[in-house]
Amino acid sequence: MKWWRFTFLVILVAVLQTSAVMNLLSLTDMRIKPDILLILLVYFAISCDSYNAVITSFALGFAADIAGMVLGPHIISYGIIGMAIAHIRNVVLLKDTWQQALTILITGIVIQVIALILTYFKASDFARTGAFEIFAVATYSAILWFLIKWLISTAGKWMGIGVHRFGTRTDGR
Amino acid sequence: MENGYSHRLMAQAKFKPSKLTLFISLLLTGFIFLLIPQNITSKINFAFIDIFGFFLNIGTSAAYYQAPENHSPFFVPRHEHNRLQVAYRNLQAQYLEQKQQIEELGRVRMSEPDPTTGLMLAKIVNRRKNEFIINRGSNDGLRKGQYVLGDNAVIGCIEQVSADISSVKLISSPACRLHVKISAPDVQTYFNGTMQGDDKDGAKIMNVPKKYQIKVGHLVYAAPKAGFLQSPRIIGEISRCVTDRSNPVVWDISVKPYYEFENITNVAVIIMKAEPD
Repeated sequence: MKWWRFTFLVILVAVLQTSAVMNLLSLTDMRIKPDILLILLVYFAISCDSYNAVITSFALGFAADIAGMVLGPHIISYGIIGMAIAHIRNVVLLKDTWQQALTILITGIVIQVIALILTYFKASDFARTGAFEIFAVATYSAILWFLIKWLISTAGKWMGIGVHRFGTRTDGR
Repeated sequence: MENGYSHRLMAQAKFKPSKLTLFISLLLTGFIFLLIPQNITSKINFAFIDIFGFFLNIGTSAAYYQAPENHSPFFVPRHEHNRLQVAYRNLQAQYLEQKQQIEELGRVRMSEPDPTTGLMLAKIVNRRKNEFIINRGSNDGLRKGQYVLGDNAVIGCIEQVSADISSVKLISSPACRLHVKISAPDVQTYFNGTMQGDDKDGAKIMNVPKKYQIKVGHLVYAAPKAGFLQSPRIIGEISRCVTDRSNPVVWDISVKPYYEFENITNVAVIIMKAEPD
Protein backbone atom coordinates (compact mmCIF):
# COMPACT_ATOMS: atom_id res chain seq x y z
CA MET A 1 0.00 0.00 0.00
CA LYS A 2 1.38 3.36 -1.04
CA TRP A 3 0.20 5.62 1.73
CA TRP A 4 1.18 8.95 0.18
CA ARG A 5 -0.95 8.15 -2.84
CA PHE A 6 -3.78 7.04 -0.57
CA THR A 7 -3.54 10.35 1.35
CA PHE A 8 -3.67 12.29 -1.92
CA LEU A 9 -6.74 10.34 -3.07
CA VAL A 10 -8.56 10.85 0.24
CA ILE A 11 -7.93 14.62 0.20
CA LEU A 12 -8.98 14.77 -3.45
CA VAL A 13 -12.22 12.90 -2.78
CA ALA A 14 -12.97 14.90 0.39
CA VAL A 15 -12.61 18.14 -1.59
CA LEU A 16 -14.69 16.73 -4.44
CA GLN A 17 -17.37 15.53 -2.02
CA THR A 18 -17.67 19.01 -0.51
CA SER A 19 -17.29 20.97 -3.74
CA ALA A 20 -19.99 22.61 -5.78
CA VAL A 21 -19.17 20.23 -8.65
CA MET A 22 -21.10 17.53 -6.81
CA ASN A 23 -24.23 19.64 -7.19
CA LEU A 24 -24.19 18.57 -10.84
CA LEU A 25 -24.94 15.04 -9.63
CA SER A 26 -27.55 16.06 -7.07
CA LEU A 27 -31.07 14.78 -7.48
CA THR A 28 -34.45 16.24 -6.47
CA ASP A 29 -34.96 19.42 -4.47
CA MET A 30 -33.48 17.61 -1.43
CA ARG A 31 -30.13 17.67 -3.25
CA ILE A 32 -29.37 13.99 -2.83
CA LYS A 33 -25.72 13.39 -3.70
CA PRO A 34 -23.71 10.15 -3.82
CA ASP A 35 -21.20 9.54 -1.05
CA ILE A 36 -17.89 8.76 -2.72
CA LEU A 37 -16.08 8.36 0.61
CA LEU A 38 -18.56 5.61 1.47
CA ILE A 39 -17.79 3.86 -1.82
CA LEU A 40 -14.07 4.11 -1.09
CA LEU A 41 -14.61 2.72 2.41
CA VAL A 42 -16.27 -0.41 1.05
CA TYR A 43 -13.69 -0.77 -1.70
CA PHE A 44 -10.70 -0.55 0.64
CA ALA A 45 -12.31 -2.70 3.33
CA ILE A 46 -12.85 -5.47 0.76
CA SER A 47 -9.62 -5.07 -1.21
CA CYS A 48 -6.98 -4.47 1.47
CA ASP A 49 -5.79 -6.89 4.09
CA SER A 50 -7.62 -6.34 7.36
CA TYR A 51 -4.74 -4.42 8.98
CA ASN A 52 -4.67 -1.80 6.22
CA ALA A 53 -8.48 -1.86 6.11
CA VAL A 54 -8.57 -0.56 9.70
CA ILE A 55 -6.27 2.35 8.85
CA THR A 56 -8.07 3.25 5.63
CA SER A 57 -11.49 3.08 7.30
CA PHE A 58 -10.55 5.51 10.06
CA ALA A 59 -8.74 7.79 7.60
CA LEU A 60 -11.82 7.92 5.36
CA GLY A 61 -14.00 8.55 8.40
CA PHE A 62 -11.76 11.45 9.37
CA ALA A 63 -12.05 12.81 5.83
CA ALA A 64 -15.84 12.47 5.99
CA ASP A 65 -15.90 14.45 9.23
CA ILE A 66 -13.60 17.12 7.85
CA ALA A 67 -15.82 17.42 4.79
CA GLY A 68 -18.84 17.79 7.08
CA MET A 69 -19.29 20.10 10.04
CA VAL A 70 -18.93 17.84 13.09
CA LEU A 71 -15.71 16.03 13.99
CA GLY A 72 -15.95 12.55 15.51
CA PRO A 73 -19.12 10.72 14.41
CA HIS A 74 -17.85 9.48 11.04
CA ILE A 75 -14.42 8.48 12.35
CA ILE A 76 -16.13 6.12 14.76
CA SER A 77 -18.83 4.83 12.40
CA TYR A 78 -16.48 4.37 9.42
CA GLY A 79 -13.88 2.68 11.66
CA ILE A 80 -16.31 0.20 13.18
CA ILE A 81 -18.10 -0.62 9.93
CA GLY A 82 -14.86 -0.79 7.93
CA MET A 83 -13.46 -3.28 10.43
CA ALA A 84 -16.69 -5.28 10.26
CA ILE A 85 -16.62 -5.43 6.44
CA ALA A 86 -12.97 -6.53 6.51
CA HIS A 87 -13.97 -9.44 8.76
CA ILE A 88 -17.07 -10.32 6.76
CA ARG A 89 -14.80 -10.34 3.70
CA ASN A 90 -13.00 -13.34 5.20
CA VAL A 91 -16.26 -15.30 5.13
CA VAL A 92 -18.09 -13.89 2.10
CA LEU A 93 -15.89 -13.03 -0.87
CA LEU A 94 -18.07 -10.17 -2.18
CA LYS A 95 -16.65 -10.63 -5.66
CA ASP A 96 -19.68 -9.74 -7.74
CA THR A 97 -20.47 -6.13 -8.50
CA TRP A 98 -24.05 -6.48 -7.27
CA GLN A 99 -22.79 -7.87 -3.95
CA GLN A 100 -20.49 -4.90 -3.59
CA ALA A 101 -23.31 -2.50 -4.47
CA LEU A 102 -25.53 -4.18 -1.89
CA THR A 103 -22.73 -3.81 0.66
CA ILE A 104 -22.49 -0.10 -0.15
CA LEU A 105 -26.27 0.25 0.29
CA ILE A 106 -26.40 -1.52 3.67
CA THR A 107 -23.15 0.03 4.91
CA GLY A 108 -24.31 3.49 3.88
CA ILE A 109 -27.50 3.20 5.89
CA VAL A 110 -25.81 1.75 8.99
CA ILE A 111 -22.96 4.29 8.94
CA GLN A 112 -25.26 7.26 8.58
CA VAL A 113 -27.57 6.04 11.37
CA ILE A 114 -24.61 5.61 13.74
CA ALA A 115 -23.14 8.97 12.69
CA LEU A 116 -26.53 10.65 13.13
CA ILE A 117 -26.88 9.34 16.68
CA LEU A 118 -23.33 10.40 17.59
CA THR A 119 -23.83 13.80 15.95
CA TYR A 120 -26.97 14.28 18.01
CA PHE A 121 -24.94 13.84 21.20
CA LYS A 122 -22.28 16.32 20.15
CA ALA A 123 -24.17 19.00 18.19
CA SER A 124 -27.88 18.29 17.96
CA ASP A 125 -28.43 21.18 15.53
CA PHE A 126 -26.51 19.27 12.87
CA ALA A 127 -28.36 15.98 13.37
CA ARG A 128 -31.09 16.75 10.86
CA THR A 129 -30.69 14.01 8.28
CA GLY A 130 -34.00 12.32 7.60
CA ALA A 131 -34.58 8.59 7.07
CA PHE A 132 -35.44 9.09 3.41
CA GLU A 133 -32.28 11.08 2.79
CA ILE A 134 -30.11 8.41 4.40
CA PHE A 135 -31.71 5.71 2.27
CA ALA A 136 -31.55 7.84 -0.89
CA VAL A 137 -27.85 8.68 -0.49
CA ALA A 138 -26.96 5.02 0.16
CA THR A 139 -29.02 3.87 -2.84
CA TYR A 140 -27.53 6.54 -5.12
CA SER A 141 -24.00 5.57 -4.00
CA ALA A 142 -24.73 1.88 -4.60
CA ILE A 143 -26.03 2.60 -8.11
CA LEU A 144 -23.06 4.85 -8.85
CA TRP A 145 -20.74 1.98 -7.97
CA PHE A 146 -21.75 0.20 -11.19
CA LEU A 147 -20.54 3.24 -13.16
CA ILE A 148 -17.30 4.11 -11.35
CA LYS A 149 -16.09 0.68 -10.35
CA TRP A 150 -13.40 0.67 -13.05
CA LEU A 151 -12.19 4.11 -11.96
CA ILE A 152 -11.89 3.16 -8.30
CA SER A 153 -10.26 -0.15 -9.18
CA THR A 154 -7.70 1.70 -11.32
CA ALA A 155 -7.01 4.11 -8.46
CA GLY A 156 -6.63 1.10 -6.16
CA LYS A 157 -4.03 -0.47 -8.43
CA TRP A 158 -2.20 2.89 -8.59
CA MET A 159 -1.99 2.75 -4.80
CA GLY A 160 -0.53 -0.71 -5.00
CA ILE A 161 -3.34 -2.53 -3.32
CA GLY A 162 -2.49 -5.52 -5.49
CA VAL A 163 -5.86 -6.50 -6.81
CA HIS A 164 -6.38 -7.64 -10.34
CA ARG A 165 -10.10 -7.94 -9.89
CA PHE A 166 -12.23 -6.30 -7.27
CA GLY A 167 -12.36 -8.65 -4.33
CA THR A 168 -9.59 -11.01 -5.42
CA ARG A 169 -6.96 -10.04 -2.94
CA THR A 170 -3.40 -11.05 -3.63
CA ASP A 171 -1.44 -9.33 -0.90
CA GLY A 172 -1.47 -10.50 2.68
CA ARG A 173 -1.87 -14.14 1.71
CA MET B 1 24.27 -1.13 3.84
CA GLU B 2 22.25 -4.32 3.90
CA ASN B 3 22.77 -4.48 7.63
CA GLY B 4 21.31 -0.98 8.08
CA TYR B 5 18.32 -1.88 5.93
CA SER B 6 17.58 -5.00 7.94
CA HIS B 7 17.87 -2.96 11.16
CA ARG B 8 15.33 -0.50 9.83
CA LEU B 9 12.98 -3.33 8.88
CA MET B 10 13.34 -4.80 12.32
CA ALA B 11 12.65 -1.43 13.95
CA GLN B 12 9.52 -1.04 11.83
CA ALA B 13 8.37 -4.53 12.74
CA LYS B 14 9.09 -3.84 16.39
CA PHE B 15 6.88 -0.73 16.54
CA LYS B 16 4.05 -2.10 14.42
CA PRO B 17 1.06 -2.41 16.75
CA SER B 18 -1.31 -5.34 16.51
CA LYS B 19 -4.53 -4.97 14.57
CA LEU B 20 -6.63 -4.86 17.73
CA THR B 21 -4.36 -2.27 19.38
CA LEU B 22 -4.49 -0.15 16.26
CA PHE B 23 -8.29 -0.41 16.06
CA ILE B 24 -8.79 0.51 19.72
CA SER B 25 -6.31 3.41 19.50
CA LEU B 26 -8.02 4.87 16.45
CA LEU B 27 -11.47 4.32 17.96
CA LEU B 28 -10.39 6.15 21.12
CA THR B 29 -9.07 8.98 18.95
CA GLY B 30 -12.49 9.15 17.34
CA PHE B 31 -14.19 9.35 20.74
CA ILE B 32 -11.75 12.08 21.83
CA PHE B 33 -12.71 14.10 18.76
CA LEU B 34 -16.35 13.45 19.58
CA LEU B 35 -15.96 14.68 23.15
CA ILE B 36 -14.09 17.86 22.26
CA PRO B 37 -16.62 20.73 22.17
CA GLN B 38 -18.03 21.65 18.77
CA ASN B 39 -16.77 25.25 18.91
CA ILE B 40 -13.19 23.90 19.05
CA THR B 41 -13.43 21.11 16.46
CA SER B 42 -15.34 23.35 14.05
CA LYS B 43 -12.07 25.27 13.61
CA ILE B 44 -10.63 22.19 11.89
CA ASN B 45 -13.62 22.05 9.54
CA PHE B 46 -13.26 25.74 8.79
CA ALA B 47 -9.51 25.32 8.24
CA PHE B 48 -10.26 22.66 5.61
CA ILE B 49 -12.64 25.03 3.83
CA ASP B 50 -10.12 27.85 4.15
CA ILE B 51 -7.34 25.80 2.57
CA PHE B 52 -9.37 24.29 -0.25
CA GLY B 53 -11.85 27.16 -0.65
CA PHE B 54 -10.88 27.83 -4.26
CA PHE B 55 -11.47 24.23 -5.34
CA LEU B 56 -14.68 23.89 -3.33
CA ASN B 57 -16.28 26.83 -5.10
CA ILE B 58 -15.38 25.86 -8.64
CA GLY B 59 -18.39 25.59 -10.91
CA THR B 60 -20.77 27.82 -9.00
CA SER B 61 -22.80 30.29 -11.01
CA ALA B 62 -20.33 30.06 -13.89
CA ALA B 63 -22.91 29.28 -16.54
CA TYR B 64 -25.30 31.83 -15.12
CA TYR B 65 -22.91 34.76 -15.29
CA GLN B 66 -21.50 33.78 -18.66
CA ALA B 67 -24.74 34.61 -20.46
CA PRO B 68 -24.13 36.69 -23.60
CA GLU B 69 -24.26 40.42 -22.91
CA ASN B 70 -27.01 42.44 -24.53
CA HIS B 71 -25.93 46.00 -25.36
CA SER B 72 -29.45 47.37 -25.77
CA PRO B 73 -30.08 50.32 -23.39
CA PHE B 74 -33.52 48.88 -22.61
CA PHE B 75 -32.20 45.46 -21.66
CA VAL B 76 -31.88 44.50 -18.00
CA PRO B 77 -30.64 41.00 -17.16
CA ARG B 78 -33.05 38.77 -15.27
CA HIS B 79 -30.75 38.58 -12.26
CA GLU B 80 -30.46 42.38 -12.11
CA HIS B 81 -34.22 42.73 -12.49
CA ASN B 82 -34.83 40.34 -9.61
CA ARG B 83 -32.29 42.13 -7.44
CA LEU B 84 -33.89 45.51 -8.06
CA GLN B 85 -37.35 44.06 -7.50
CA VAL B 86 -36.30 42.72 -4.11
CA ALA B 87 -34.66 46.04 -3.21
CA TYR B 88 -37.92 47.75 -4.12
CA ARG B 89 -39.87 45.37 -1.84
CA ASN B 90 -37.52 46.17 1.03
CA LEU B 91 -37.92 49.91 0.49
CA GLN B 92 -41.66 49.42 0.40
CA ALA B 93 -41.52 47.62 3.76
CA GLN B 94 -39.29 50.29 5.26
CA TYR B 95 -41.61 52.97 3.93
CA LEU B 96 -44.64 51.29 5.49
CA GLU B 97 -42.79 50.83 8.77
CA GLN B 98 -41.65 54.46 8.86
CA LYS B 99 -45.11 55.66 7.89
CA GLN B 100 -46.53 53.77 10.85
CA GLN B 101 -43.85 55.23 13.11
CA ILE B 102 -44.61 58.76 11.94
CA GLU B 103 -48.28 58.18 12.64
CA GLU B 104 -47.36 56.85 16.05
CA LEU B 105 -45.04 59.78 16.70
CA GLY B 106 -47.84 62.11 15.84
CA ARG B 107 -49.86 60.66 18.71
CA VAL B 108 -47.25 59.88 21.30
CA ARG B 109 -44.00 61.65 21.99
CA MET B 110 -41.55 58.87 21.55
CA SER B 111 -37.92 59.03 20.67
CA GLU B 112 -37.03 56.56 17.97
CA PRO B 113 -33.90 54.61 18.72
CA ASP B 114 -31.45 55.17 15.94
CA PRO B 115 -28.93 52.38 15.87
CA THR B 116 -26.94 52.47 12.70
CA THR B 117 -27.04 49.27 10.72
CA GLY B 118 -23.83 48.03 9.17
CA LEU B 119 -23.41 45.49 6.40
CA MET B 120 -20.44 43.19 6.13
CA LEU B 121 -19.99 41.84 2.62
CA ALA B 122 -18.77 38.26 2.38
CA LYS B 123 -17.99 35.74 -0.32
CA ILE B 124 -19.44 32.25 -0.30
CA VAL B 125 -16.57 29.80 -0.18
CA ASN B 126 -18.59 26.62 0.08
CA ARG B 127 -22.20 25.50 -0.34
CA ARG B 128 -23.68 22.59 1.51
CA LYS B 129 -27.19 21.40 1.95
CA ASN B 130 -29.12 24.26 3.57
CA GLU B 131 -25.86 25.93 4.50
CA PHE B 132 -23.31 28.40 3.12
CA ILE B 133 -19.76 28.90 4.36
CA ILE B 134 -18.60 32.52 4.07
CA ASN B 135 -15.18 34.13 4.32
CA ARG B 136 -15.92 36.43 7.27
CA GLY B 137 -15.70 35.64 10.96
CA SER B 138 -15.57 37.03 14.46
CA ASN B 139 -12.63 39.27 13.46
CA ASP B 140 -15.08 41.10 11.18
CA GLY B 141 -17.73 41.49 13.88
CA LEU B 142 -19.83 38.46 13.03
CA ARG B 143 -21.64 36.54 15.75
CA LYS B 144 -24.22 33.81 16.01
CA GLY B 145 -27.78 34.79 15.12
CA GLN B 146 -27.02 37.72 12.79
CA TYR B 147 -29.16 37.94 9.68
CA VAL B 148 -27.61 37.33 6.28
CA LEU B 149 -28.77 38.94 3.05
CA GLY B 150 -28.35 37.61 -0.46
CA ASP B 151 -29.51 39.77 -3.36
CA ASN B 152 -31.06 42.08 -0.72
CA ALA B 153 -33.33 39.35 0.68
CA VAL B 154 -32.83 37.54 3.97
CA ILE B 155 -31.38 34.12 3.20
CA GLY B 156 -30.54 32.86 6.68
CA CYS B 157 -28.67 33.42 9.92
CA ILE B 158 -25.12 33.01 11.13
CA GLU B 159 -24.77 29.60 12.76
CA GLN B 160 -21.12 29.06 13.67
CA VAL B 161 -18.33 31.59 13.76
CA SER B 162 -14.57 31.18 13.79
CA ALA B 163 -11.98 33.93 13.55
CA ASP B 164 -12.24 34.46 9.81
CA ILE B 165 -14.88 32.07 8.48
CA SER B 166 -18.52 31.37 9.35
CA SER B 167 -21.40 29.12 8.46
CA VAL B 168 -24.79 30.45 7.43
CA LYS B 169 -27.88 28.40 8.18
CA LEU B 170 -30.25 28.99 5.26
CA ILE B 171 -33.95 29.58 5.75
CA SER B 172 -34.63 26.28 3.99
CA SER B 173 -32.96 24.46 6.89
CA PRO B 174 -35.33 22.84 9.42
CA ALA B 175 -32.94 24.12 12.11
CA CYS B 176 -33.68 27.70 11.07
CA ARG B 177 -36.71 29.19 12.83
CA LEU B 178 -37.45 32.86 12.29
CA HIS B 179 -40.16 35.22 13.42
CA VAL B 180 -41.76 36.64 10.30
CA LYS B 181 -44.34 39.18 9.25
CA ILE B 182 -46.73 38.41 6.42
CA SER B 183 -47.83 41.50 4.57
CA ALA B 184 -51.52 41.85 3.88
CA PRO B 185 -51.91 44.70 1.39
CA ASP B 186 -55.72 44.38 1.43
CA VAL B 187 -55.89 45.47 5.07
CA GLN B 188 -52.55 47.33 5.11
CA THR B 189 -51.09 45.39 8.00
CA TYR B 190 -48.76 42.54 8.89
CA PHE B 191 -49.62 39.16 10.37
CA ASN B 192 -47.03 37.59 12.66
CA GLY B 193 -45.84 34.00 12.39
CA THR B 194 -42.94 31.64 12.84
CA MET B 195 -41.20 30.24 9.79
CA GLN B 196 -39.19 27.02 9.60
CA GLY B 197 -37.24 25.52 6.70
CA ASP B 198 -38.82 22.62 4.84
CA ASP B 199 -35.45 20.88 4.19
CA LYS B 200 -35.95 21.37 0.44
CA ASP B 201 -35.76 24.79 -1.13
CA GLY B 202 -38.35 26.73 0.82
CA ALA B 203 -39.94 27.14 4.22
CA LYS B 204 -43.23 26.73 6.06
CA ILE B 205 -45.10 29.12 8.31
CA MET B 206 -46.91 27.31 11.07
CA ASN B 207 -49.89 27.95 13.29
CA VAL B 208 -51.29 31.01 11.54
CA PRO B 209 -55.06 31.13 12.29
CA LYS B 210 -57.40 30.89 9.33
CA LYS B 211 -59.12 34.10 10.37
CA TYR B 212 -56.16 35.97 8.85
CA GLN B 213 -56.79 36.65 5.19
CA ILE B 214 -53.61 35.29 3.67
CA LYS B 215 -53.25 34.60 -0.03
CA VAL B 216 -50.70 33.24 -2.44
CA GLY B 217 -48.33 36.02 -3.49
CA HIS B 218 -48.37 37.87 -0.18
CA LEU B 219 -44.88 38.90 0.86
CA VAL B 220 -43.05 37.47 3.86
CA TYR B 221 -40.59 39.59 5.84
CA ALA B 222 -38.14 38.74 8.63
CA ALA B 223 -39.53 40.44 11.73
CA PRO B 224 -37.38 43.03 13.51
CA LYS B 225 -35.34 41.56 16.35
CA ALA B 226 -33.60 43.59 19.00
CA GLY B 227 -29.89 43.71 18.39
CA PHE B 228 -30.11 41.89 15.07
CA LEU B 229 -32.63 43.51 12.72
CA GLN B 230 -34.04 47.00 12.91
CA SER B 231 -36.77 46.90 10.26
CA PRO B 232 -38.50 44.12 8.34
CA ARG B 233 -36.45 42.64 5.51
CA ILE B 234 -37.98 40.60 2.75
CA ILE B 235 -37.55 36.83 2.65
CA GLY B 236 -39.86 35.73 -0.13
CA GLU B 237 -43.48 35.28 -1.00
CA ILE B 238 -46.21 32.80 -0.20
CA SER B 239 -46.31 30.11 -2.84
CA ARG B 240 -49.03 27.93 -1.31
CA CYS B 241 -51.68 28.58 1.30
CA VAL B 242 -54.14 25.81 2.12
CA THR B 243 -55.97 24.55 5.16
CA ASP B 244 -53.74 22.48 7.44
CA ARG B 245 -54.87 18.83 7.27
CA SER B 246 -53.89 18.02 10.84
CA ASN B 247 -55.38 21.19 12.29
CA PRO B 248 -58.16 22.72 10.15
CA VAL B 249 -58.27 26.00 12.08
CA VAL B 250 -54.82 27.08 10.89
CA TRP B 251 -53.16 27.65 7.51
CA ASP B 252 -50.53 25.43 5.94
CA ILE B 253 -48.35 28.09 4.33
CA SER B 254 -45.36 27.48 2.04
CA VAL B 255 -42.86 30.24 1.38
CA LYS B 256 -40.73 30.56 -1.73
CA PRO B 257 -37.56 32.51 -0.91
CA TYR B 258 -36.36 35.29 -3.20
CA TYR B 259 -32.86 33.90 -3.43
CA GLU B 260 -31.65 31.16 -5.74
CA PHE B 261 -29.25 28.76 -4.08
CA GLU B 262 -27.03 28.32 -7.13
CA ASN B 263 -26.85 31.95 -8.19
CA ILE B 264 -25.70 33.70 -5.06
CA THR B 265 -21.96 34.27 -4.89
CA ASN B 266 -21.81 37.10 -2.33
CA VAL B 267 -23.81 37.83 0.79
CA ALA B 268 -24.08 40.67 3.30
CA VAL B 269 -24.29 40.16 7.05
CA ILE B 270 -26.35 42.68 9.00
CA ILE B 271 -24.29 43.97 11.93
CA MET B 272 -26.06 46.26 14.35
CA LYS B 273 -23.44 48.65 15.64
CA ALA B 274 -23.59 49.81 19.25
CA GLU B 275 -25.13 53.21 19.78
CA PRO B 276 -22.63 55.98 20.53
CA ASP B 277 -22.72 57.16 24.14
